[in-house]
Amino acid sequence: MPMPQKMGRGDEMGRGPYEKSGIINDTGLPPGKTVEEHFEIPFYTEDVTDDNDRVIERKLMDNTLELNVKLWYLPYGNKQSDPFIWQEYTQTITVSE
Amino acid sequence: MKKTKNTLMAFLACIAAFVLIATSAFAAGVGKDGTIVAKKGKATTIAELVAMYDSTGCIDCHEDTHDEWANSAHARSVYGTGRTAATMKTALENGVLSWAYSGAESPEDVEVEHLMGCAKCHLPQLADATDAVAKEFIADIYALMDAYRNDDEEKFDDMKDTLLSLNINCLVCHNRMAITHKWTDGYPQDGTVYGSSDGEHEDEAYPHTKVSPIMSESIFCGQCHGLGPNFELDNPTQCATAYGSYLWAYTAEGGTETCQECHMEKSGLGHDMQSYRSKVMSDAAVDFEVEAYGAKWRDGRLVTPKAIVKVKMTNRTGHAIPDG
Ligand code: HEC
Ligand code: HEC
Ligand code: HEC
Ligand code: HEC
Ligand code: HEC
Repeated sequence: MPMPQKMGRGDEMGRGPYEKSGIINDTGLPPGKTVEEHFEIPFYTEDVTDDNDRVIERKLMDNTLELNVKLWYLPYGNKQSDPFIWQEYTQTITVSE
Repeated sequence: MKKTKNTLMAFLACIAAFVLIATSAFAAGVGKDGTIVAKKGKATTIAELVAMYDSTGCIDCHEDTHDEWANSAHARSVYGTGRTAATMKTALENGVLSWAYSGAESPEDVEVEHLMGCAKCHLPQLADATDAVAKEFIADIYALMDAYRNDDEEKFDDMKDTLLSLNINCLVCHNRMAITHKWTDGYPQDGTVYGSSDGEHEDEAYPHTKVSPIMSESIFCGQCHGLGPNFELDNPTQCATAYGSYLWAYTAEGGTETCQECHMEKSGLGHDMQSYRSKVMSDAAVDFEVEAYGAKWRDGRLVTPKAIVKVKMTNRTGHAIPDG
């Protein structure tokens, strides 16, 4: 959502429509532009350590991972007021054992 | 002695003549005297303001249009979902009444001008009412909030109905807001509904139709959908900015569709102009693409398996989302 400037001055955001003038930042999606986000999610592993507490092996506990990506629409900037799941994507991801 | 008196009288007559000239020949805007407010006079109560733009008669012949409109946010532009009415009270208390130079210290001091920062877009016809209406409006908003707090359902419904009767209805759009460039195209006239043709109209109270040069243009919606700070106000405010985004981030970058094309025609929603709450709109709004695969990252001896997820989102509307 747009982060409106309070009374058109300084670094503080204004929230009520009576104090908003200007925009400091916008966390929303601009029209016609592709916005890309990149995530890296670790699989479930457990580390094996030697006597000196050094990690010597990282054991894969499950080679599948249930991925669930949700695009939340937060018209008021938080999940308390009218949150809405816009798009959702699920996939089972695997790696070799 | 007598002579002085005569001179004074002549002088006064002169002022009177000058005042007359000033109001007839020098007043800006030919045809301003034919508008709904000029013909009916300023409203002095909420009931009179509602009557001034009464659009209930339109239902008889435009039922489908009415039903579509009734489902839109325009049909409850000051009550909203309750949030708009509540925010008006906050805006008054944390804004107008708290500002040193606003000239209003308590709700009883409120004048139309104090409310235009919101009413400009949420209830533009408030400009056609006296300060008594501004005070009545604020008293009703307080009564609504009090009734809510005291669980007084009857009073709450009563106040809610009053606030719901103030909205952006057929005549607000098809008359009051139908002309932006009034010196070029003339002032919207009482007795006329503005659309796409000049001619007769079956409604007795509105027997004429005239072309509105902007009804199918984005600027029509832009009047209320915001550019940024509203500088014409003594204390500028900003709420919606979708029209600003439309101009500088959409059309300036090659976008060609109008608000009406997306919101009224392609959506099939007509006068039920909607946002993401309607499925056709939310489906049309963003392209969402996910590409994901597993891979094993190696750092020295350690192998860390991870899912690599790439998400691509493209906003297919004509403005940034969300707005506000
Ligand atoms: C007695 C029936 C009747 C009533 C009442 C009525 N209309 Fe109409 N109106 C018509 C007909 C018939 C047309 C022409 C066909 C059409 O476009 O639907 C029309 C056309 C219109 C148009 C298009 C004009 C153009 O330029 O082509 C508008 C806008 C309109 N009406 C608005 C209104 C509004 C606002 C009201 C209430 C103040 C209203 N009408 C009340 C029958 C009516
Ligand atoms: C430039 C026109 C404009 C002005 C001035 C304006 N608003 Fe708005 N406001 C809108 C529009 C249009 C929307 C709905 C569309 C949107 O969110 O983009 C809206 C939405 C809102 C909402 C959110 C409604 C909901 O339920 O989601 C609230 C609350 C609100 N306005 C209150 C106010 C108050 C209070 C003021 C005065 C301090 C004000 N607005 C001034 C045009 C305006
Ligand atoms: C928020 C503004 C708005 C409101 C409120 C509104 N209209 Fe409209 N109406 C429009 C616009 C914009 C168009 C033109 C759409 C286009 O050209 O793409 C239109 C088109 C029409 C038409 C077709 C006009 C033509 O030129 O043929 C009729 C009839 C009509 N409206 C009647 C009504 C009635 C009756 C109501 C009240 C129930 C109403 N409208 C409320 C904005 C509005
Ligand atoms: C007279 C001022 C005015 C005009 C003209 C107007 N709107 Fe609005 N519109 C508003 C206000 C005010 C709201 C928000 C009411 C509320 O919920 O508080 C709104 C709400 C909306 C919403 C719903 C927003 C949401 O968050 O749900 C859409 C969509 C919309 N308008 C589109 C349009 C389009 C398209 C046009 C032109 C055909 C238009 N409007 C013309 C004042 C106007
Ligand atoms: C290319 C199509 C397109 C154009 C052009 C377009 N819109 Fe939209 N608009 C949409 C879609 C789809 C949505 C639903 C997404 C949403 O609600 O965020 C939407 C949402 C909105 C909303 C709600 C925003 C929110 O916070 O959720 C408002 C208000 C609005 N439009 C007004 C306008 C106005 C005013 C114009 C013209 C200045 C316009 N739109 C032009 C497609 C369009």
